[in-house]
Amino acid sequence: MMAASSRSQVISLYKAMVKASSRFPSYNYRTYALRRVRDAFRANGKVEDPRAVEKLLEEGQQMLALIQRQVSIGQMYGAQRTVVE
Amino acid sequence: MMRMRSLEPLTWILLTGVSSGSRLSYNMAARVLQQCVRSLARPSLRLCPVSAALRAAVAPAVGVHRPVSFAADSRRTRWLGQSRISSVGVLCRQYGDLPPLTLETIKDRVMYVLKLYDKINPEKLQETSHFMKDLGLDSLDQVEIIMAMEDEFGFEIPDAEAEKLMSPEEIVQYIADKKDVYE
Repeated sequence: MMAASSRSQVISLYKAMVKASSRFPSYNYRTYALRRVRDAFRANGKVEDPRAVEKLLEEGQQMLALIQRQVSIGQMYGAQRTVVE
Repeated sequence: MMRMRSLEPLTWILLTGVSSGSRLSYNMAARVLQQCVRSLARPSLRLCPVSAALRAAVAPAVGVHRPVSFAADSRRTRWLGQSRISSVGVLCRQYGDLPPLTLETIKDRVMYVLKLYDKINPEKLQETSHFMKDLGLDSLDQVEIIMAMEDEFGFEIPDAEAEKLMSPEEIVQYIADKKDVYE
């Protein structure tokens, strides 16, 4: 079990990333980002080493920022909806 | 759909009223229509599939007897023309509100959301089941469930309190507390 503080940090990062990803206007990016976020958190769920967790959190923060940037860019340049939407 | 079904006997009465053509049945038709409009003037109006055929059939029957034939009006005028509607004693003022929350409706909505979550087996799901111990979910799934509840009930649940919600009944209780719903 990892330390309580990093645990809540991970949870809130996960929440923020899922929320940000679900704001992608484009279906393809949205589903990819959601799947990618979920898989990545599951894959690293067993990491115990505090330093590794720290590093992953750092990476996650950068990814979150990236997702947010891409979402706003996506909203600026609306594209035609695909058939699945 | 329910409303549609409940309209069918009315349709029948109205249509027979039209075909027999007597003044009495016009009266009856008008009265029935009045009730019909009253029942329609509820929030689900916009979703209510009143068939065009019914409206077309009803319009002349009422038009003879009463100058105001609301059934023939377009929906837009029915909303804007308050005076028309109040002429039959229906004062409808629509607020975009949901039916009031009760413990029962909260419970139903919570269980409905949970059943739709793909990692939960709907057969195993009970009100008292613990997400992790009984349903085999992990903490990330629990976060997803809480987010689904936020979407469903339209308010944010802070992380500190979200992590304590581990079973459907706890979620129901929490939402009831937040929304000031008591027995």
